[in-house]
Amino acid sequence: MKILVVDDFSTMRRIIKNLLRDLGFTNIQEADDGNTALPMLQQGDFDFVVTDWNMPGMQGIDLLKEIRKDDDLAHLPVLMVTAEAKREQIIQAAQAGVNGYIVKPFTAVTLKEKLDKIFERIS
Amino acid sequence: MAKSSANISLQQARQLVEWLEEGEQAKADQWLDDFREERDDKLFTSVGQLTRDLHEALQDFQLDPRIMQLTQDDLPDAQNRLQYVIEKTEDAANRTMDAVEACLPMTDEMHQRVEQVMPTWQRLMNNDIQLHEFKEMCHQVDALMRECGQNMPQIHGLMTEVLMAQDYQDITGQIIRRVIQLVEDVEKNLIELLKLFGEEQKSQAKQNVKAVDKSAAEGPVINPEQRDDVVVNQDDVDDLLSSLGF
Repeated sequence: MKILVVDDFSTMRRIIKNLLRDLGFTNIQEADDGNTALPMLQQGDFDFVVTDWNMPGMQGIDLLKEIRKDDDLAHLPVLMVTAEAKREQIIQAAQAGVNGYIVKPFTAVTLKEKLDKIFERIS
Repeated sequence: MAKSSANISLQQARQLVEWLEEGEQAKADQWLDDFREERDDKLFTSVGQLTRDLHEALQDFQLDPRIMQLTQDDLPDAQNRLQYVIEKTEDAANRTMDAVEACLPMTDEMHQRVEQVMPTWQRLMNNDIQLHEFKEMCHQVDALMRECGQNMPQIHGLMTEVLMAQDYQDITGQIIRRVIQLVEDVEKNLIELLKLFGEEQKSQAKQNVKAVDKSAAEGPVINPEQRDDVVVNQDDVDDLLSSLGF
């Protein structure tokens, strides 16, 4: 399974990468905002996206909307991992078609739970 | 005749007429000159005072050394300091993760070796082991102990590195405390400025407040308990999403 981790902070990307590796996912690539992520998604055969919300350039919510608009990418599961905690935002992400929403700070257990839940739904 | 007021009195006018009727032209002229001079003096004094006040006010305003220092030195300095905090914390996070990433394969490897030995070990504990198995196990245990002997001091060193990487907290804490002080100073000076410009600005300011986009990104919320538009933890998120049919 090929996963793209999108976050503007390299340390957070590294944390998520390590946690994902612990869960057995080793094919992981990184992008620092939506503008970098979108072409990578369009060119590469990614199976899963983990994205932050608040990033310079294209924000995570806009990346999610772009993914859902693109016929080739629309099916991609997107997990949001973000410090954005307003109810309005969570509702907006849900309406935009997010598959999971994790608020930072989060734990390894939460990440595993949400991933399991998403894959359970897909299969 | 006394010239106490800036305005000519009826009495003074009558006196002037009297002098003129009596042919005392020089006396009347002299009195008028004196009168005018005194009036001009008062006017000049007032204008002078006003000018001085204005000058001093402007001078005070421009040369308040704190404001100059705030804008010229302290604010750019604060930017540098905060930038330094970002660098320091990033550096600490990376040092920590370097050490952890170096530890994990070692612990995984040792765990794997223990798992290898375990089945034979169990048989030994149950007195159910063949001699050749025992010999093989001795080699495995030997390798395991050598590896532990090597890895443990390394892991200890890496853990010490993780410990030392936390020194950023002290340094960044001090820097942030200074920046907080600066923000307070700027706030005080801004309040002074607002007082100078008075009430009329208030109504304008109110009109200029932008409408807040409820779903705009705002970064980490530091006081979720005091707000009712944000979630407090992951359980809140999950509840909200499940209420939306997730």
